[in-house]
Amino acid sequence: MNSLRRGIRNAFRNSMRSVGVVVILAVAIALSISMLIARDAVTTKINNVRSSTGTTITISPKGFFGFSGGGTPLKAASIDDLLTLKNVVSVQESLSEELSSSTTNLKSPTPTGSLGRQFGANSSTSGNSNFTGRGNFTIPVRVIGTNSPGTALVGGANGGGTEKLTSGASFSATSHADVAVVGADLASKNKLKVGSTFTAYGTTITVVGIYNSGSSFADSDVLMPLATVQSLAKATGDVTDATVSVNNVNNVASVSKAVTAKIGSSADVTSTEATTEAELAPLNSVKTISTYTLIGAIIGAAIILLLSMLMIVRERRREVGVLKALGAPNRSIIGQFIAESTTFTVLGAIVGFVVGAALSSPIASALVSTTSNANTSNQTGFIRGGRGSFTGGASGFTPPSGGNFRSGAFRPTSLHNTFDTLHTSVGWSTLTYAVLIAIVIAAIGSTVATATIVRIRPAEVLRSE
Amino acid sequence: MLTVQNLNKTFRTPAGDVHAVRDVTFHAKNGEMVAIIGASGSGKSTLLALLGLLDAPDQGSIDVDGVELANLDSAGRTKYRSQKVGFVFQAFNLIPNLTARENVLLALEYAHWPKAERAARADEMLSLVGLSGEKVDRRPNRLSGGEQQRVAIARAFAPQPDLILADEPTGSLDKSTGQKIVELLRHTASSQQATVLVVTHDDKVARQADRRLEIDDGALAEIA
Repeated sequence: MNSLRRGIRNAFRNSMRSVGVVVILAVAIALSISMLIARDAVTTKINNVRSSTGTTITISPKGFFGFSGGGTPLKAASIDDLLTLKNVVSVQESLSEELSSSTTNLKSPTPTGSLGRQFGANSSTSGNSNFTGRGNFTIPVRVIGTNSPGTALVGGANGGGTEKLTSGASFSATSHADVAVVGADLASKNKLKVGSTFTAYGTTITVVGIYNSGSSFADSDVLMPLATVQSLAKATGDVTDATVSVNNVNNVASVSKAVTAKIGSSADVTSTEATTEAELAPLNSVKTISTYTLIGAIIGAAIILLLSMLMIVRERRREVGVLKALGAPNRSIIGQFIAESTTFTVLGAIVGFVVGAALSSPIASALVSTTSNANTSNQTGFIRGGRGSFTGGASGFTPPSGGNFRSGAFRPTSLHNTFDTLHTSVGWSTLTYAVLIAIVIAAIGSTVATATIVRIRPAEVLRSE
Repeated sequence: MLTVQNLNKTFRTPAGDVHAVRDVTFHAKNGEMVAIIGASGSGKSTLLALLGLLDAPDQGSIDVDGVELANLDSAGRTKYRSQKVGFVFQAFNLIPNLTARENVLLALEYAHWPKAERAARADEMLSLVGLSGEKVDRRPNRLSGGEQQRVAIARAFAPQPDLILADEPTGSLDKSTGQKIVELLRHTASSQQATVLVVTHDDKVARQADRRLEIDDGALAEIA
C-alpha cells in the first residue's frame, strides 16, 4: 500500500469529520461553480448586447430633435467625409420632412387625439401649416429620405415591432427615382398598394413596397430615396440625421471623438455606447459580484481545507513521528496528506459541481433580477419620448437614418427584457475551471499541513510518551 | 556490533542548559540484549533518541557494524532508521487505521524490502511473535495490549535491523504479559542476531537482559 492509497484511505478514517469537510467544501465549490457559470453567461450577454447595440454614433443638427428644436441641416458632403475615419464601417444619411395637406394628398393614419392637439397647438407658434385652429389640427405625414433603405427596412426587432417588407421591394441606396416604400398603416389609410401612386411636393410618387413594423408610429411613415427627397424638398445636400457604424464597440469612443472633431460644434454627436453601458450596468454589477463571490468562495474553501488539514496533522503529530521513526521520508508523508486533502477536494468538487451547475441558472436570474430592479429605479429619468422620438429597442435594432429614430429615446425596459433571456450553460471550459479550482483549493489547503509535517521531529514520538 | 563513544547531548532551556547525555561510552554485540535503567528524567529516552537517529548528538560517535552514524546526511539518517534500526514503544504506536499485517508491511515498504517478499515476511514475523489467523487482519483497537506490543515487535524486527531500541516496552502491560514480551524480545534478538537495547525503570525486566547499564543524570555506568 503506497502513500497515495494510504492518504485516500485516511480521508475516510473519521467518517463524521470527512462528511463534514466534504459538505462544507461542496457548498463552497458549488458557490464557485454557480458564480463561474453566472459570470460566463453574463459576460456572453454583455458581449452580445454590446456587439448588437453599441456600435453606432448618431449625428444630428445641434439643438434638433425629431421635428422639435432648431438648428441648421448637416451637409451630406461633410457627412460622407466621415467614411475616411479609421474604424468607420458605414455612414447612413437621412433627411426627414413633414408633408402637410398642402404638399401631399396622403392622410396620416395617426389619430390626432388630445396629445396631437396639444403638440399641434405648440407647433402653431412656429407656423405649422396643419394647424387650422384648436380642434382642427391633423397629424402631418412624415417622409424620410434615406440612403440605406435595406437597413431601415430589414433591421432587427425593436420595441415597436419588426420592420419587414410585406409586399413589393425596396429602392436602391443611390436611387433618384420618384418611388417610396410606405408603412402598412399609411398604406391602409390611403388604400395604397404596390404600384399605387400619391403626390408629394407636386410630384407623382409610385409605391414600390409596403412594410410593417408593428408600431403605429413607424408604420405611418414614407421612406424614399435620399436624393429624391433632397431634390423635391429643395434641400440639396441637406441631411437631418446620420448614423455612423463602427467596426467594434471598443472603438466607439475614439470614433465619436473623431466625428465631433471633424463635424465641429454645429452638430450633436451621440453614441449608443453611453446608453448601452448604462443599460448594462446591472449585468456588469452581476459580473463583478459573481467574480468577487467566485474568488471569495475559492479562498473560503481553501481556508476550510487548510484548517481541516492543519487540525488533522496536529491530531496525528505522534503518528507522523512514528512514520519518521520507521524511516518514512518527508515526501512520502507529505504525499499521504496531500492525497487525503485531494480526496476531500475531489469529493467536494464532484458534489459541488453538480449542485453548482443546477443552481447556477436560478442564482444568475436572482442576481440579475435584483440588480436590474435596483438599476431601473435609478434610471427612470432616462426615458425619453414624445413627438418625433422613436421608442425603439436596443436588442439588435439598427435605427434607420431618420430624425424620428433617435438613440436617446431607447427605453431601459427593452434591455431589461433581454436579461430575462440570460442562458447559463456548463461546457468543457467550466469543467476545466472547476478542476483548476479544485487543484488550487487542494494545493492551498495542503501547504500549511505540509510545512507542519516537515517541522515535526521524529524524536517527538518519544518525548510525547 | 554497536559502539558508542563520548556521546553528549545538551538541551538549552529558559531555565538553563540541561546536560541530558554526558560522555556516554559503551558497546553491545549482535544478538545481545542490554538493559538501560534509570529514574525518570535521567536521560534514558534522550540516549535512545540519539542511538535511533531521532535526534542528533552534540558530540561523540555511534558506530553500527562499521558505519559511523554521525557522518550520515538527512537521507542517510532516514535510510538508517528504515533499514538498520527498529523501535518498540511503550504505547505501541501502531497506525490505528491499518491492520496488524499492514503495520508490519509499512515498515517493510519504508525499508525498501522486495515487494514480492513483503507479505510472506510480514506473516513470518507475526507468526514468530505468536499472531496468526484472523488476528493479523485486525486493527489495533481490536487487539489486546499484549497483542499490540507483539505487532510492534514484529514491525520492528521485520526489516532485519541491526539494532532494536525498546523504550519501556512493558510499561503499558500487566506483569505476566510484560514478562512474555521481554522473553519475546530476547528470543527474537537472538534469532535475528540483532542488538537490543531496552530502556526500563523496572529492575525485573532489566535482570532478564544479558547486561545492565544504569544512567544517572546523563552519565552511563555498567552494573555488575
